[in-house]
Amino acid sequence: MNITASKVTSLSILVVDDEPIVVQSLGDWFRQDGHRVDTAQSAREALRLVAEKDYDLAFLDIKMPGIDGLDLQSRLASVKPDMTVIIMTAYASVDTAVRALKAGAYDYITKPFDPEELSLLVRRAGEHRSMRSENIRLKERLQEESAPSPIVGVSAAIKRVHDLIAAVAGTEATVLIKGESGTGKEMAARAIHVASPRRYGPLVIVNCGALAEGLLESELFGHEKGAFTGAMYRHSGKFEMANGGTVFLDEIGTVSAKVQVELLRVIEEKTVTRVGGRTPIPVDFRVIAATNEDLEAMVQHGEFREDLFWRLNVFSIEMPPLRTRPEDIAPLAEFFLDRFTRAMNRKPMRFSPRALEALQAYAWPGNVRELQNAIERAVVVGKPPLIEAGDFPIRVTETPSAGGALSLAEVERAHILTVLEAQNWNISGASRMLEIDRGTLYHKIEKYGLEKTRTAE
Amino acid sequence: MSAAAPGIQAIHFLAGAEVPRDLAADIIARASRRMAVPCHLEPDVWETRPVRLGGRDQIDADALLAGLDVLIRPGIVHVGLTGLDLGLALFTFVFGRARRGGQTAVVSLARLDPTHYGLAADPDLTARRSVAEIIHEIGHVAGLVHCDDFSCVMHFAPNVETIDLRGTAFCPACARALPPHLVLEQVNPRGD
Repeated sequence: MNITASKVTSLSILVVDDEPIVVQSLGDWFRQDGHRVDTAQSAREALRLVAEKDYDLAFLDIKMPGIDGLDLQSRLASVKPDMTVIIMTAYASVDTAVRALKAGAYDYITKPFDPEELSLLVRRAGEHRSMRSENIRLKERLQEESAPSPIVGVSAAIKRVHDLIAAVAGTEATVLIKGESGTGKEMAARAIHVASPRRYGPLVIVNCGALAEGLLESELFGHEKGAFTGAMYRHSGKFEMANGGTVFLDEIGTVSAKVQVELLRVIEEKTVTRVGGRTPIPVDFRVIAATNEDLEAMVQHGEFREDLFWRLNVFSIEMPPLRTRPEDIAPLAEFFLDRFTRAMNRKPMRFSPRALEALQAYAWPGNVRELQNAIERAVVVGKPPLIEAGDFPIRVTETPSAGGALSLAEVERAHILTVLEAQNWNISGASRMLEIDRGTLYHKIEKYGLEKTRTAE
Repeated sequence: MSAAAPGIQAIHFLAGAEVPRDLAADIIARASRRMAVPCHLEPDVWETRPVRLGGRDQIDADALLAGLDVLIRPGIVHVGLTGLDLGLALFTFVFGRARRGGQTAVVSLARLDPTHYGLAADPDLTARRSVAEIIHEIGHVAGLVHCDDFSCVMHFAPNVETIDLRGTAFCPACARALPPHLVLEQVNPRGD
């Protein structure tokens, strides 16, 4: 007959007991609770069932002829470690409880069962299972999200980057990553770290351009309590935090002469002395630095220490600008489209031919980061299943391909202006989008003489 | 809906000698107001052959339920009311027992009576609890299983406090699953 089912949190339960009355009675009880139940009257039968099906919970009688409940529990643990096992016993004793729990059981229950106790036990076991599953799912998601983004591309230039990363990752060599803003220098640093023997250690990222000189020194090397006004507590620096791992020094070209001296010493001696401290602390780290500036020219102009430059530039990787590798635009766009539609739980989308043309035609002065932002915006405003050219930020569709016609400074000026306009001249928002600190942005606004366009009100 | 349910035309109640007649009549009158099919208390005392559970001062609920099988007639559900404490070989007690999708159910008043817990007698409370338990068991007879909604009468009650809390109304999901024309005011009237 058809049995009407109401809403219940249904579990899949296996009941194992050599007494027919027990398996029948308990089976009926759980079925009445809306659970799916299989029963077995021997360990052998239980093992056969477990080989065929997955169960959330198993109730095992402790005393059975042949293989007893505790032995069965051990065997089940080796084939189905995720299954929650509850041991049933006719006589409660500390010894039984200890043996059951030592064998890996979730809990044990004494016959005859108190309905309240059984109900609570099944509920707790169900919650325990779902929390464990959720924990696993969250860990997987965290791992997925914390994994470095792949450096996507089919061009020869990007293949060379891959080769260089693979070549240097396994070594202890210091790496200098060069490239314009938005080309993926940090992604390259992450890729090196996770492919290196230090991958289980921390990757500590320091944006040197975002911190004032005094603050940077304290951030990098730490400080002792009372080292300066406001130093109320002892503070470990980034190098100490990176012990056993990697320090990524972004925007290394912005570091002051004083900090350059200290950096050189720390990198050479592999010891850190906190600001206000006297004792050198040995630290095991690898340095990866990055810059979008011409460090060689800075060395020539005396703006960057030559000895530090050579210490950092043991192995260098140049991240190619996106405009020099137009064949990578489509695969990158597809990659970001897939990522953002998933992240935003949007229906699958694809680019219209005109949208792809617009992406190909644009110069991408902000490089991969700008492309990523454009796709993110398009996923937000676009209507599935197609992303149209009009879904991109207006600059993408209106600015003609600059190619080699513009100087780098012109491209930078135009890009900063575009971002500022897009952010309605909100300096914090624009500096976040450009991934530079507010000070650097103010400096560039002044350098390029940028002004907010006045609108008639 | 279940195969048996459309055929439910009436519910016949039988009360054991331990159940005061006026209390039984009161319970059935209250239950009757919730059911859309006629409810009827058999005039004769329910003569049972209780099977005691070994080492316990309790009656085997399944054996008691089996005793009702001889009465099965098309379209009639039989519900036995007993004042004896019911249990099962594997369970320390049960408030009631039903054949899911069948035609029989038993309800024990023993643990529904406040005096079982050392409290003062309260026939009204006992009757209210009994009606709740009867509706719960009839839900099983109609094919329903236990429900997660704590305010639904089909929510599993391991103690009397839960019976008092859950009330006598079905949640919308269980009400939808019930056969039509069995229970009046199927959905929780409070709307919660």
